[in-house]
Amino acid sequence: MTAFRALLRTEAAILLRDKATVFFTFLFPFIFIVIFGFLMGNVDRPTARLGLIETTGSAPPVPRDLLESSGVDEVRDYEATETLWTAVRNRTVDFGLIWNGETLEFLYHPSRVQENYAFQQIASGISDAVNLRVQGLEPVLPVVRRHVGTEASTRWFNQMVPGIIAFSILASGLFAVSGHLTAMKERRTLDRLLVTPMPPVALLAAMAVVRLVVVYLSTLITLFASIAIFDLAFSIDWLAYTLLVGCATLGMMGLGTVIALIVRRPSSAGNVANVLAMVMMFLSGIYFPIEFMPRFLRTLSLALPLRHLADGMRFATGVNDMSPVRFWLIVLAFLTGALILFPVLARYVVRPQRT
Amino acid sequence: MSDILLIARNHLLIALRERITLFWFLIFPVFLLIILFFIFGQIGQEKEISFDITLVNLDSEGAGAFSGIVETVFDGLARAQSSDKEALFRLRKPEPGENVDAFLESELLAVRRGRRTAVILIPEGFDRRIESQLVPTPAPSDSHPESELALMIYFSEGTATSGMAVSIIGQVLAGVDREILSRGGRFDPAAAIPAKTTWVGSESGQTAYIDFLLPGIILMGLFTNGLFGVPGAILFSRDQRVLRRYWVTPLTVPRFLAGMSIGHIALSALQFGILFSIGRFALGATVSFASPVAVLLLLLATATFMAFGFLIASVSKTANSGMAIANILNMPMMFLSGLFFPIAGLPAFVKAIVFVNPVSYLADGLRSHLGVDSGIFPTALVLAVPLAWIALSSGVAAWRLRWDVGR
Repeated sequence: MTAFRALLRTEAAILLRDKATVFFTFLFPFIFIVIFGFLMGNVDRPTARLGLIETTGSAPPVPRDLLESSGVDEVRDYEATETLWTAVRNRTVDFGLIWNGETLEFLYHPSRVQENYAFQQIASGISDAVNLRVQGLEPVLPVVRRHVGTEASTRWFNQMVPGIIAFSILASGLFAVSGHLTAMKERRTLDRLLVTPMPPVALLAAMAVVRLVVVYLSTLITLFASIAIFDLAFSIDWLAYTLLVGCATLGMMGLGTVIALIVRRPSSAGNVANVLAMVMMFLSGIYFPIEFMPRFLRTLSLALPLRHLADGMRFATGVNDMSPVRFWLIVLAFLTGALILFPVLARYVVRPQRT
Repeated sequence: MSDILLIARNHLLIALRERITLFWFLIFPVFLLIILFFIFGQIGQEKEISFDITLVNLDSEGAGAFSGIVETVFDGLARAQSSDKEALFRLRKPEPGENVDAFLESELLAVRRGRRTAVILIPEGFDRRIESQLVPTPAPSDSHPESELALMIYFSEGTATSGMAVSIIGQVLAGVDREILSRGGRFDPAAAIPAKTTWVGSESGQTAYIDFLLPGIILMGLFTNGLFGVPGAILFSRDQRVLRRYWVTPLTVPRFLAGMSIGHIALSALQFGILFSIGRFALGATVSFASPVAVLLLLLATATFMAFGFLIASVSKTANSGMAIANILNMPMMFLSGLFFPIAGLPAFVKAIVFVNPVSYLADGLRSHLGVDSGIFPTALVLAVPLAWIALSSGVAAWRLRWDVGR
């Protein structure tokens, strides 16, 4: 037990002394949250500023309440068409409307390919409402939209934060074993440890314990930073959250052990882990909604552990709902993966270098 | 001259032999191009996406005239218009004899869990409500409150496709609304106001997403090439004492640099060729880079990112720390540049990063010149900022870059 405590102390010291690991574990997810929070915080609901010219004559002006109810956040009035064109082109306004009593002409910037869809939806709503209002009518089809998702699931960014946390768990777990063990092999420190009575599993266990604490703290920092900076609301089930973070970290470390088994040099291990992490990140719906992907990619994503980890994290933070059976199966799968991979691989990974 | 060309050849061959280099320089940009094309290229292209929705009609008491119109319209939209396109909606309804309450409950749970994008519920008494609106009559004593008779759309705000499906359903229902009013003789379709769409400064309509994306991906490829490739080549060769062996030959540092730069430009040209070909021939891009200004901007980008690579190599003690620094800079510089996401709504302190980032100017200048964006930076800045970075990076590299572990 004393030896295990010594291993724990050593592993903790190694981790905390490695500036790159500390940066990538604690600060990198935080930086991601800040960048993507500002960049994509409103991606599902961009602010809509409308530039308006009304040359209606006898026709009624476009009622402002109607523009507001259609989703326009701000209306700016313009006198001349050229000025409105310049405003749209310079992005002073997001789209324009010229209402001359006979036609509704909507102006868009042709390069705003990712945002125009939202502006066109708003324009369509304005057009429908004006058509009725001009003939003195109100809609007869009463429509009520009701959000039935979880309370925390109101913005795409709420979905993204648990995804980023899941990704940081994946990266930490993968790099922890693959990079660290291969570096120990390369520096021959592993050979020296192995001439002691230390069982191979003890070394992996010490690495796992240190990594568990560090990853858990890192996920909390990311979570609370997103709450503090972007005023996000989560409904966290702490037991589910803690167990998922713990089991997933162990499971991802198991995956990292597989990399350490097949790759010898630390730089190569880091590269393989990096490639795996990147591919999984884009195919698991961390930054982009998975629903927009073609069917074969959506099916492929089901085979990726990060997809299930992100789904589980969204459930544990109250962002998405899922069947409790599926959630606990995910937790169990990560734990089983770790329990099977660790001892088996320890025999093959934690062993002296062949000279 | 032959020594310079030999170094260039070596640089190119080493890069192409390294599987990891191939991944980052070729496979990853291609992967990102295809993924982003599939994801964002489909937004707004309703024919490319099919939404799983559920329709429950509880209004069995009336003649079903109006609820029937709603059902017929959604039935029609759930039928594929052609064999190669999916229908707009995959529609689910309760089976005859099925317990409607239980069905509705399970479908609402499906929306909550992301398996269904929306549920449309036509409430009991819906037809009577519409009739009373078309022909106002005194409300019967047992009438329901108005909100209970509204057509309900249940969805999940945080799910992208759910929000999109609700917008489309809203448009469909607005059309149904006009149809009902027309049949009731109240809305005159002949007097409907036409809506016209104008694309400011473009006669061909909205820029195709692939035309917007391709220059961004090409720049990203050149960027990662310089950011990782240059410091990687120098630092790993230095750490493994390969460079030391060069210096015992008559080869000088400037000639080594010239050779490495030629090799790097050749690698970048190869990367450009592959990405452009995939974008053009596989994904249908029409954007053309065949102009002197476009070539000049691509060369400026290659030189800027290469100089940036030298800057990283000069401040890194080891190859691993160099790669860590490149990794740290990669994401913020790539994403805070407008390459992939709009940067208009960013707060001032984040915009400051955008304004010092050379990638922002190169992306803006290239897209503007290619006619896929109007450009927000003046041409002078598009050239001056990357040139300033080249000067700064080269200056620091000339001062600090160590060419040997022992020196």
